[in-house]
Amino acid sequence: MSTTILLGPQRFTTTVGSTVRALGVTGRIAMVNSGWEERESDDAELAGHLDGRGVNLRLHHRMMDVLSKDEHFAAAARAFRDRMDELRTFYGIRLQAAIDAVQAVAHRTSIHAVGPIAEESAMEAVREVDRWYAAELDELYRSVRATAPPDESGTIGWHRGEIGAVLDECEAVVIAGGNVRTLLWTLRVFDVELRPEQSVVAWSAGAMALTDEVVLFHDFAPQGVTAAELHDRGLGRLPGIVALPHAKRRLQLDDHERMSVLARRFAEHRLLLLDDGAVVRFPDGATDLPAGARVLDRTGHVTVVGAA
Amino acid sequence: MSAMERLAVNRLRERLPLDGPTIDRFVERYGCPIIEGERATFLYRGDVDEVWIRHRVVGLPDPLPLKRIGESDLWSVTTVLPEGSRVEYQVEIRKGEHYERFNDPLNPRLAHSPMGSSSVCAAIGYRVPEWVAFDPEARQGTLVEEQVRSKALRRDQPVQIYLPARFNRAQRYPLLVVHDGTDYLEFAAMKTVLDNLIHRLDIDPLVAVFVPPRDRLKEYPNHAPHARFVARELVPLLTDRLPLVDTPEARCLMGSSFGGVASLSTAVRYPGLFGSLLLQSASLVFTDIGFDHGGGPAFDPVVKFVNRFREKPSAVVDRIFMSCGVYEPLITPNRSMVPVFRQTGMTVRYTESRDGHNWENWRDRLGDGLSWLFPGPQKFVYE
Repeated sequence: MSTTILLGPQRFTTTVGSTVRALGVTGRIAMVNSGWEERESDDAELAGHLDGRGVNLRLHHRMMDVLSKDEHFAAAARAFRDRMDELRTFYGIRLQAAIDAVQAVAHRTSIHAVGPIAEESAMEAVREVDRWYAAELDELYRSVRATAPPDESGTIGWHRGEIGAVLDECEAVVIAGGNVRTLLWTLRVFDVELRPEQSVVAWSAGAMALTDEVVLFHDFAPQGVTAAELHDRGLGRLPGIVALPHAKRRLQLDDHERMSVLARRFAEHRLLLLDDGAVVRFPDGATDLPAGARVLDRTGHVTVVGAA
Repeated sequence: MSAMERLAVNRLRERLPLDGPTIDRFVERYGCPIIEGERATFLYRGDVDEVWIRHRVVGLPDPLPLKRIGESDLWSVTTVLPEGSRVEYQVEIRKGEHYERFNDPLNPRLAHSPMGSSSVCAAIGYRVPEWVAFDPEARQGTLVEEQVRSKALRRDQPVQIYLPARFNRAQRYPLLVVHDGTDYLEFAAMKTVLDNLIHRLDIDPLVAVFVPPRDRLKEYPNHAPHARFVARELVPLLTDRLPLVDTPEARCLMGSSFGGVASLSTAVRYPGLFGSLLLQSASLVFTDIGFDHGGGPAFDPVVKFVNRFREKPSAVVDRIFMSCGVYEPLITPNRSMVPVFRQTGMTVRYTESRDGHNWENWRDRLGDGLSWLFPGPQKFVYE
C-alpha cells in the first residue's frame, strides 16, 4: 500500500504541488473537490499545482446529473437529507445538554471524591449520545439503501463505471476541502474506492474524509450547538484518527478543560491538528501517527508525537 | 489634563476672539460632531439666536442647547457619549420668531427611515457590521414581488419573497415572515444582509417574505384579520408553493416597534404554528395599574394586549430573540418582558445596544438574531 499524506489548509500556505512532486508521481492524478459544490469546476488553480496532470472526478456535477435523471433516487435522497437533518437536530439538543452536564459537574466542588466519578459518568453519557447518533445514522443509511439502492440506479451505475475507469488510470488522488457533508455524500453514493497502490494527498475536509470518524467542530461559530459533533463515518483509510483542520482558527486550544473534554470523549482516537503548513505522512500503508504530528492529549494540551 | 487631552473646542476657546478663517480651519479639521474619547461635541455655524440638538436619547436633555463661542457665529455643546453609541439627531435653530429643523449641515453622515433622514453621531467603538455592505463575492438571492389575495384583509396584499442564492427545490428552507417588510428592505438593507450572512455561512439559507402594512397602526397592534392573513393564508400558500421545512421550528415571525407587537400577537393567536420570534424594539408597552400609559390612542390596543398577556403569559413559541436600544423609551418595557417570556418556558436571547429606535439599530442586530435563530452550516465547511 502506498503513501497517504494529510496537509494543512491550502488557502494561504499551498503545499500540495510540492508534496505531490516529492512523491515522485509521474502519472495522472485524480482530483476530488466535490466539497467545493457548485465551484467544483473552478479547478484550474488546483490542476496547475499538479502540473496539468490532474483529472477531476467531478463528483458534485455527477451528483446533480443523478438527481435530475433518477427521480426515484432523488426522492430518496431528499427524504434521507430531511431525516438526517431531524436526527442531527435531536442529537444536537441531547449532546449540548450532556456536554453542559460534564462542565457543570467538573466545576462543582467535591469534598468526598464523588466529583471525578460523577465527571467520568457524565462523560460516558456524552459518549452514549454519540453512540445513539451513530446507530440511528446507520439505520438511516440502511433504510435509504433498502428504499433506493444506489446499486440499482442505472445513472449511478454509469457514473460509477466512468469514475472507476478514471481511477484505474491514476497513480495518485488528491482530495480537497470544502463542505465535508457534500464531499462524503458524493464519495459514498459513487462508491469511490481508493486503490491500495494509489498515493493520496488530502487536506481540510478531504483529510477528515479519509478517517473513520468525522467530527464537526467550531468553537467560535456565532451560534448553534457549541460542542463538537459526530457527523459520519469517513472512508476509513486512516482509522483511529480524528482530523481537526484549521485547529488554531476553530478550536479554543488555550481552554485546556474544554480540549480535555474533547480528547477524552474520543478517547479511542488520536486527535490530529492540521493547521497551515502541516504535512503528516503515512508511508507504505501505515496508520500510526508519525513523529512530529501535533495532537491533543487527554489533558487538553497540544503535544508533538515523538517529542521527549 | 494636558493640552492634547483637553477638548478641541476648549482649546479653540482659548484663542478668542475668533475670526472667520480660524473657525473655517477648525471646522475643516475636526468636522462634526467631534468625537474625543467618550465625549461628543456638536457644532453649528450661523447667524441665529438659539440652536439645539434634537434627538431621542433617553437620559440626555432634549432639546440639547448649544452655546455661542465668544462673539463668533460658531455654537457648540459637548455631551457624554459612551463607547459604541450611535445617535440619530437633527439641528433646530431659532432666528427671531422663526424656528427651523434640519440635518446637521456640518455632518455628511445620514440615516434614512420612512419619516425622512437624520444626521448620525457615531461614538468611538461603533462600527457598521461588515456584513451590511454589498459584498461582490456574496451570491445574490432574488426578490419576487407578488400580490396575495387575502380574504382576511379583504384586499390584495403585496409581498416580496426572498429566495436565497442557489435556491434549489430539492432542498428545504425555513421561513421568515418580516413585518414592515418594505422598510426592512429599504432602510435595513435586509436583502444584502441576508445575502451576506448566508454567504458567510452565519445563517442557513432561508426563504423570507417581506410584508408591508397598509394601515400600520390598525393592523399591527393585535389585529385579528392581520394574524389570520399571516397564519391562515400567507404561510399555507408559501408552504404549498415552496420547498419549506413544514415544522413550527422552521417558521419565524419578526418585526420592529409595532411590527414586534404584530409578530407576538400573531403568535399568541396561533400558538404552536411558529417556532420563534425576532422582536426588535418591540412596542411592548403595558401598565401595572390603571390604563394611563402615556403613549396616546395608538397604544391603547397595544397596552390592552400586553397587559392581558402579562396576566396570563403562555409559551406561544420555543424561542425569542429580543433586542432593544438603551437610548429609546421602550427599553424599560422590553427589559420587563424578558422574565415574563422566560417564566413561560420560552428560551429568550436578549441583547441591548447603545442606540435608539431606528432602522440602523435594527439592521445592526440582524446578525446576532438571525444567526441564533437559523444557525449556519459553518461546522460543515473546512476549506
